[in-house]
Amino acid sequence: MNPTLQTLLHLLWVFSQLSVLGFGGGKGIIPQMHADAVSQYHWVTSEQFTQFYTLGKLVPGPTTIFAALVGYAATPDRPYLGAAVATLGMFVPSSAMMVGFDVLWTRFQDSPWRPILSHGLAPAIVGLVWSSVWTIARGAPTSVAAYVVTAVVTLLMLRTKVSAPLLILVAGGVGVVALR
Amino acid sequence: MSTDGALESRPSLLSIALAFAGISSTAFGGGQKASIRQQVLSRGWMDAERFMDGLEIAQVLPGPNILNLAIYCGQRVRGIPGAIAAFLGASLPPFAIVLIAGALYFKFSSNPFVHGALRGCAAGALGLTIGNALELSWDERSDWIRIALLVVTAVTVTYLHMPLLLVLVVFGGLGIAHEYRRWRKTQK
Repeated sequence: MNPTLQTLLHLLWVFSQLSVLGFGGGKGIIPQMHADAVSQYHWVTSEQFTQFYTLGKLVPGPTTIFAALVGYAATPDRPYLGAAVATLGMFVPSSAMMVGFDVLWTRFQDSPWRPILSHGLAPAIVGLVWSSVWTIARGAPTSVAAYVVTAVVTLLMLRTKVSAPLLILVAGGVGVVALR
Repeated sequence: MSTDGALESRPSLLSIALAFAGISSTAFGGGQKASIRQQVLSRGWMDAERFMDGLEIAQVLPGPNILNLAIYCGQRVRGIPGAIAAFLGASLPPFAIVLIAGALYFKFSSNPFVHGALRGCAAGALGLTIGNALELSWDERSDWIRIALLVVTAVTVTYLHMPLLLVLVVFGGLGIAHEYRRWRKTQK
């Protein structure tokens, strides 16, 4: 098979699975996405993965839009096609489920299962978010200056109302000076 | 329901797509939910109660909350065509914007200044993720079984590379079973 076509099919397969498993707004899929995109298929390096994730947080819209950048890097011959296929895989399956389940959910208006399901999944999702911290750290810079930036941003995020993209941009400004 | 009476003016598919395109290209994170709420309520597409219902399902089902919420709103006012219009409006602008960012990334990331900036941004994004994990964990503090589930999930995924599907079935399943038991106790 044409290697680009094969990559496109792999992209579609990988991101469709992540889409369907993206409970909790997709916060928990980062470790699996890294396992697929970096360790198994070598579409991107760990450093690129972290930087794409960062760009995903920097632009408006859902963070997981950075799937487009993974697709872009995976298919150097047809980067825009790769980006489009990865994005379709990432967003279409979960969106189709949303359309289908809307009716069902309304029918179970007062069912006790609604809070049981949503609240019951939360610990696993939060555990996955902690694992994502480790995943993202693997591609983040390792120096005292970088650790200070990370610690300060963590504190500012928890203690102030400064928006996420602004915090990332300020961290980038510090990086120009201290992390070249 | 009586609220259907308020939805006399059927919005066009284009106006649905444009409403969500406007939000998705300008608003970030949690601010998007507030923007969607403000838009759909002020346009009379639905009442606050229905909106909250949609927010709940958008957060439970897989997929980005804001995209799911947009689809819910589109579907409520114009059925499946409305859902598709909302999907396109909510996803195309971020797609275009991230592609521009990506093209610049591949062009300039070897420049030492840009490289430094990207590393700084990455250190910042890591800080945001840690902050998010801390906030979410704080909500779980009152129940040691939930804390144990959280820790075991984090450790098995990080060190044993447990696949996501298995994590959701096993640890998600245990969490749901635990919630079910708690609910049963309140029923007695």
